[in-house]
Order: sequence, then structure tokens, then C-alpha cells
Amino acid sequence: MFRAVFRLSTSGARRLARTRPCYSAPLASRCYSHGKVETDEEFDSRWVTYFSKPDIDAWELRKGMNTLIGYDLVPEPKILDSALRACRRLNDLASAIRILEAVRDKAGPHKDIYPYLIQELKPTLTELGISTPEELGIDKL
Amino acid sequence: MSLQKPVMRGLLAKRLRFHLPIAFSLAIAAALAFKFGVTEPRKKAYAEFYKNYDNVKEFNAMREAGVFEGVRPSGE
Repeated sequence: MFRAVFRLSTSGARRLARTRPCYSAPLASRCYSHGKVETDEEFDSRWVTYFSKPDIDAWELRKGMNTLIGYDLVPEPKILDSALRACRRLNDLASAIRILEAVRDKAGPHKDIYPYLIQELKPTLTELGISTPEELGIDKL
Repeated sequence: MSLQKPVMRGLLAKRLRFHLPIAFSLAIAAALAFKFGVTEPRKKAYAEFYKNYDNVKEFNAMREAGVFEGVRPSGE
């Protein structure tokens, strides 16, 4: 009982002492209190636009995906759709399938996210002829 | 039956928010337990031992036991 009190008091004090990370924003970066915080929709549309560049090159695709994977979020279906179409423009099937593997890994222990994403992306996957890792049998070790 | 949209943002933040206070609490509790379970009794044991320590008496006992080279037992 005392340990519970002790834990609550120390965790409360600690949360005041440590600089607060922005739990609301997925971006692990700036926590300025004066600047405008980007909304989720602005974030999503910024990334959709990034991958929608008609003459995107392979480096920009890789850079974009690596940056996106670094955030504390699983990308929205519309961002992934835009990224998969960029792979199509670059004739890069390998990266397209790798993107699917990456988002599955990003979801971590939350096993409901990946099936939802595949459900949402199914039309795009069929249109572009992208197989999922599960269909190829490369999802198991 | 199509799947509902799950929560996809801030999953790590949520996990840390839960686990970090526990982690820090356990670490501090372990440190305190060691301090009060080991180091304080140890310090007290040493203090008790040396509180009424008579080093001359102990020296003579060692001398009679013949462990020194520089000073022989008083009999010889």
C-alpha cells in the first residue's frame, strides 16, 4: 500500500520535473509551445503530396519512407496509397512490398492495424498488381 | 464485415506514459532497498565493531599468537 503511494507521488513529481514530450503529436521533434502544432490532417496531406510528386526519384522515395517510419504513428492508408503509386512510377515492386512489411512491423503488438490497412489498400494493390508479403509467403520466418 | 479503423497514432507515447513511471519507480525502489537492506546494516556493523575497539589489546593478542616478524611474543 505504501509502495502504491510512493509510486504515485514519484511519478507525479517526475512528470513535472521532466520536460513534457508532446504526447498528442506523433512527430518526435519540436515541442515549441509558441509555434502552431500541425494537425493530423495537415500532416497526412503533406505526406500524400510528397509521394505524389510525378517525377519523384528513388532516393526521395526511400528518404520519405525512412522518415515516415521514424514517426510515432502507423501511416494512414492514403499516405501508403500515394507511396505505392510512387513505387509504380519508379517500377519498384520490391519497395512496394517492403512498405507493406514495414507498416506491419510499425504496428508492433497491435495486430488489428495491419489487417485494416490491407483492407483499405486492397483496391490499390489489385490495381497496381502488388502482392502482399502474406500472399508471397515471405511473412513467416 | 469490414474492420473499423483502429488507433494508429501515438502508440509509443501511450506505452511510455504507462511504463516509464513504473520503470523509474522500480529502479528507485531497487536502489532504496539495496541502500537500506545492505549498505546501512553494513555501515552499522562496522561502526558497532569499532565503537569499543581496543587496538592495543588486539595487537598484544596477535603478538602472543606469533603472527608478527618484527616483534616476538613476550615470552621469548
